[in-house]
Amino acid sequence: MARPSFFGLLLIAPALAMIGVLFLYPLGFSLSSAVTGPGGELSFAAFQKAYELYSTDILFTLFIVIVSTLLTALCSIAIAGILTLSETPWLVAILRSLYRWPLFIPFIVAAQCMRTFLAKNGLMNNSLVALGLMEPIQATSFLDWRGIIITFVWKQVPFVTLMLAGAMASIDRATIEAGRNLGASRLRVLIELVLPQVAQTLLVGLVLSFVTMLSVLSVPMMVAGSQPTMLTVDMAFRINSYGDYATANALGVISYVIAGTVAWIYLRHNVKREAQI
Amino acid sequence: MRKAFYAAGFAALLMTSTASAQTLNVATAGDQNMVDYIKDYLGPLFEKQHPGVKVVAVGTGPGDGGSQKIYEKLEAQNKASAPADFDVVVIHQKAAGTMVQEKLLKKYRDELPTGKLVTRDTATNSLGTDVSGYVMPMFHSQTAIAYNPDLIKEPPNSYVELRDWVKKNPKQFGYNGIKGGMSGVAFVTGWVAAFAGDEAKLEKGPYDAATKASWDKAMADLKEFNKNVVITPGNAGTLDMLNRGEIAMGPVWVDMFYSWKAEGKLPPNMRLKLVSPGMPGQPMYYAIPEKTAQNKLAAEFVALATSPDVQAEGIVKRFNWYPGIDAKNLEGKLDQAVWNQLFADIPPDALAANGKPFPIGPYFNDILETYEKKVAN
Repeated sequence: MARPSFFGLLLIAPALAMIGVLFLYPLGFSLSSAVTGPGGELSFAAFQKAYELYSTDILFTLFIVIVSTLLTALCSIAIAGILTLSETPWLVAILRSLYRWPLFIPFIVAAQCMRTFLAKNGLMNNSLVALGLMEPIQATSFLDWRGIIITFVWKQVPFVTLMLAGAMASIDRATIEAGRNLGASRLRVLIELVLPQVAQTLLVGLVLSFVTMLSVLSVPMMVAGSQPTMLTVDMAFRINSYGDYATANALGVISYVIAGTVAWIYLRHNVKREAQI
Repeated sequence: MRKAFYAAGFAALLMTSTASAQTLNVATAGDQNMVDYIKDYLGPLFEKQHPGVKVVAVGTGPGDGGSQKIYEKLEAQNKASAPADFDVVVIHQKAAGTMVQEKLLKKYRDELPTGKLVTRDTATNSLGTDVSGYVMPMFHSQTAIAYNPDLIKEPPNSYVELRDWVKKNPKQFGYNGIKGGMSGVAFVTGWVAAFAGDEAKLEKGPYDAATKASWDKAMADLKEFNKNVVITPGNAGTLDMLNRGEIAMGPVWVDMFYSWKAEGKLPPNMRLKLVSPGMPGQPMYYAIPEKTAQNKLAAEFVALATSPDVQAEGIVKRFNWYPGIDAKNLEGKLDQAVWNQLFADIPPDALAANGKPFPIGPYFNDILETYEKKVAN
């Protein structure tokens, strides 16, 4: 019995070492340096400073990421729903060929595009003015929190839709057809029959999106001004301008806590489901 | 431990770069125009005079953050007793002081043929630290308020007038806070000097940690002021918004302003105003790391960069900076029109009266931190 387990360990050793060196060690390091004072003693000064300087930004980050996640969910359900349930083939064909594009565009490029698209005299407002839908004087810049949310949603919807549409395609069509035959509208079929069957996939997609958006630096930096801003920008600023790793790590720990809470919700849900099965 | 990791990374970098011995690595902090200056103008000029030498320019990012990166790298290499892989560095004032104190730089100015052409006191005093001999000013730059004369007939003359103007014209003034480059930082330190008094103490010291408590009123006013301004995404962001007509006024670097105007990225009628009691300006310094392998070549590079010809053609004419060496050495090298252009909006006497240095290092940090605590949060 001892020998196979030794070889088994040997086989997974590279993977374990990789996780240890590239993930666990840096994680532990940043956790410990966040609670270490200048003299090497245990200290929460960095957290106090993070709170004094950036409490608004912590709330702002939460707000942006939660709103973006909710909007992403709505848009993805709408698109995946149309792809699965629509009876208009050309609409499905167009949507199917279009929706994936943002997947292949990096965040920084998306941010750069949005900078010129959403500006006060940018492409979007100019088009609306040219179409006569808006007077030039009404034009406002979207390059603030709204710009960040628009960019995030634009970038994450295809990802979640891709997962969701795949899951919807693999559920038993008979359930959908039964619903339709009994006279349920397509919206009702989507909400009451399809969504409950793919809720798990939707949750996974949203959790991954949430964590991704929490960690993006380029979008808040480029799209919006710096007050208030997201935690990633504050971390970069503490390190770049002051070499202040303690406060940056404290902000990092706050991010872990936010991401960890979401992961916990997901895991709890997952365990409950497994217990049911 | 972190330092050890850095050192390992840099050592790996070093091994790849020592392949061609005659490479001069120039690391520069600052906006893209700094990299452009070395890559497009100074580098090729030096390569022509020194056949077989290749000048490689690396940009490390805008603001003090860019200089901080250079400092961290040199410091890590020093701790690891490894030779520096930057041969010439171009840095801001705050980092220059730290680097001189930690003995990371070479004392080279006295042997430089152009060393005696420098007269401004920033060549010896960098935000309160004595850097005499260690640095050569590359140029001086100045911040000022840019405005659109079509929208503003009479620009404010002082911070007080500006504050009242912003109250009457909400969302027409924009600046980039303190995280997006130095023009916003300059505006904020100017604000503190204007409204919290004792400017001389901020500029010359001595440092007293209790002083920051006296800024509360000024910072509260700034928070109020911020409600009626637009926070832009950076030095270039302010100019962008001025160009698109989204704001009518905002603090900018004078050199960037002129360059953008020359490139057609700003309407030609845009003007500048240096408000009283003053806004800060700063030099960028050429410095040579203590442990570079390319000692002689690096000194020759800086000598060329600070020669009157290069200062006239490159610094003043092409990039619209104020010269780093005494301006009288440039006489006869430039036609009068170029010279006048540089002083068109801000005449020399206004520059002398309202062009201020940044506060000394510790006050500078206190101002930024108080801003984050009391204004931004």
